[in-house]
Amino acid sequence: MSEYQVLGVRTPRTDALLEASGQVVYGADIVYPDMLYAAARYSDYAHARILSVDVSEAERSPGVRGVITAKDVPVNRFGYKFQDQPVLADYKVYCKQDAIAVVAADTEAQAQLAAEKIRVEYEPLTPVLDPVEAMKDEVLVQEGSSNVVAHIKLRKGDVGAGFAAADKIVEEELSTQKVEHVPLEPHVALSELRPDGQLVITTSTSRAFAYITQLLKILRMDMTRLRVLTPAVGGAFGGKNDVSLEPWVALLTLKTGRPVKMVFSRKEEFFTTLRHPYRMKYKTGLKRDGAILARKIEIISDSGPYVCLGKDTLTKASVHAAGPYNIPNISVDSYLVYTNSALGGAMRGFGVPQVAFAHEVHTDTIAHELGMDPVEFRRKNLFYDRGEAATGQLLDSRAMRATFERALELEKKSNEGREEPRA
Amino acid sequence: MSEKVAVSLKINGKEVTLLAAPEQNLLRLLRENGYVEVKCGCEEGDCGTCTVLLDGLSVKSCVTPACACEGREVWTAAGVSRQERIGRLLRDNFAKYGASQCGFCTPGMMVTGVNYLMNNGVPDRQAIRAAISGNLCRCTGYKKIIDAIYHTAQELRRETAGEGML
Repeated sequence: MSEYQVLGVRTPRTDALLEASGQVVYGADIVYPDMLYAAARYSDYAHARILSVDVSEAERSPGVRGVITAKDVPVNRFGYKFQDQPVLADYKVYCKQDAIAVVAADTEAQAQLAAEKIRVEYEPLTPVLDPVEAMKDEVLVQEGSSNVVAHIKLRKGDVGAGFAAADKIVEEELSTQKVEHVPLEPHVALSELRPDGQLVITTSTSRAFAYITQLLKILRMDMTRLRVLTPAVGGAFGGKNDVSLEPWVALLTLKTGRPVKMVFSRKEEFFTTLRHPYRMKYKTGLKRDGAILARKIEIISDSGPYVCLGKDTLTKASVHAAGPYNIPNISVDSYLVYTNSALGGAMRGFGVPQVAFAHEVHTDTIAHELGMDPVEFRRKNLFYDRGEAATGQLLDSRAMRATFERALELEKKSNEGREEPRA
Repeated sequence: MSEKVAVSLKINGKEVTLLAAPEQNLLRLLRENGYVEVKCGCEEGDCGTCTVLLDGLSVKSCVTPACACEGREVWTAAGVSRQERIGRLLRDNFAKYGASQCGFCTPGMMVTGVNYLMNNGVPDRQAIRAAISGNLCRCTGYKKIIDAIYHTAQELRRETAGEGML
């Protein structure tokens, strides 16, 4: 029991009983009278020029009330800082996850059937799927731009001098893969036109205000005419940070005058943003006693065909890349690279889990090569009682000491009574 | 479009007749008729959020054909959470132990939990783990869900033991 009334007291959530009895309303649970259902037609290629899009057969398909293509989008490029992502593919598809047209029909099955009847003529282009290949710029993903869309540099001290004074240098290459957030609730969006002319978009997102900003530009709409509402959200983990199906339902409502709903299938859920895969090179210069003199890092991030939140995640990753260790000389070069693979975005940790994996594996490798106990090596170099981060930020809290020692205690406890693994 | 057929079944204790398309699954039939507490997460039998009790057995409603439910009894999370004594106790313990975060897997977890407890579920964390292995949760890391079921099992056992002494 806590000696306080609030601190240390477990408080049940106000909606916990509703959740346990299934009474919380999520986007997919909302039904409007006279509502239409939308289904998208996605690209057949990772990289291709679009020669023609024929929606006439889809428009004649049973139950269909409207079809939208790039021609219906007022401003067909969006993005937070780089406006490089189309709402619907126009002259080319940049990846297989790009949508080309979206159909609204009386039922979901009718919409899906009609979406299959859309005829797309392509001229296939060579896709570039490997970020290291893409850096050569032999195939350009976005015309008029190098595939290296951002280079983030971080410098502390003089790494050259640090390596020159080192007794030992350890080099290592590490990579991480793409990860989907897989929220239990797939993306869902609804739109309706209210009698006063207001367009209301209800969508499963963590960032309603960021969406309004983007949707106002895409729809070229006056702020007083657009509202974005969020019902209960069934998990996001960063995967519901970016506009995806919202402009489609909005444009279909504007076209048909009817409310429109779209729910992603589990397969479509994997078409939304993923955790960026990183290729990382670590080089560390050390004294014989285990002191770290210098660390040089290179990160290549596969952004997919658009920037989205790739630059922001990579900036955060670069700041954390050297790890929580006192290192006087640090150099980090990070490259955000366009490819024709699936789009990267925000996910729990925002770039840090990738580099945390790398700097900790690298730390164990170094300890092994120096013949030191990895725990002692960490105690020697960690921001144990104080530290200076790669950015020069001074850290004087004892949180690291408390966390590190407690983690060791817990590990020891969980290993007690466990059989020694056989060699 | 295929002709719809009438399916008579008992849902949460109430007799109803619903119209189902021959290819329709039980999940869609239930949601179309307002039982939206049954959630759709994957519609391919993986995630377990659409779990319901069908004649006392927990099944994934997305891979259960609607027409095969003629004359059968269905309980959803909304129904079981009102049930004395197991359902209400588990619902309260889900709240008490913080067993839901985003809440989207919760209706399926509740049904699976009730099914475990109804079938003489013992307060054994390993057995509870096995029982909920067909239900995915992305938020909690399962610990609090297991806690809620575990403590409910313990409370139920204590009550039964008390009755035995009378």
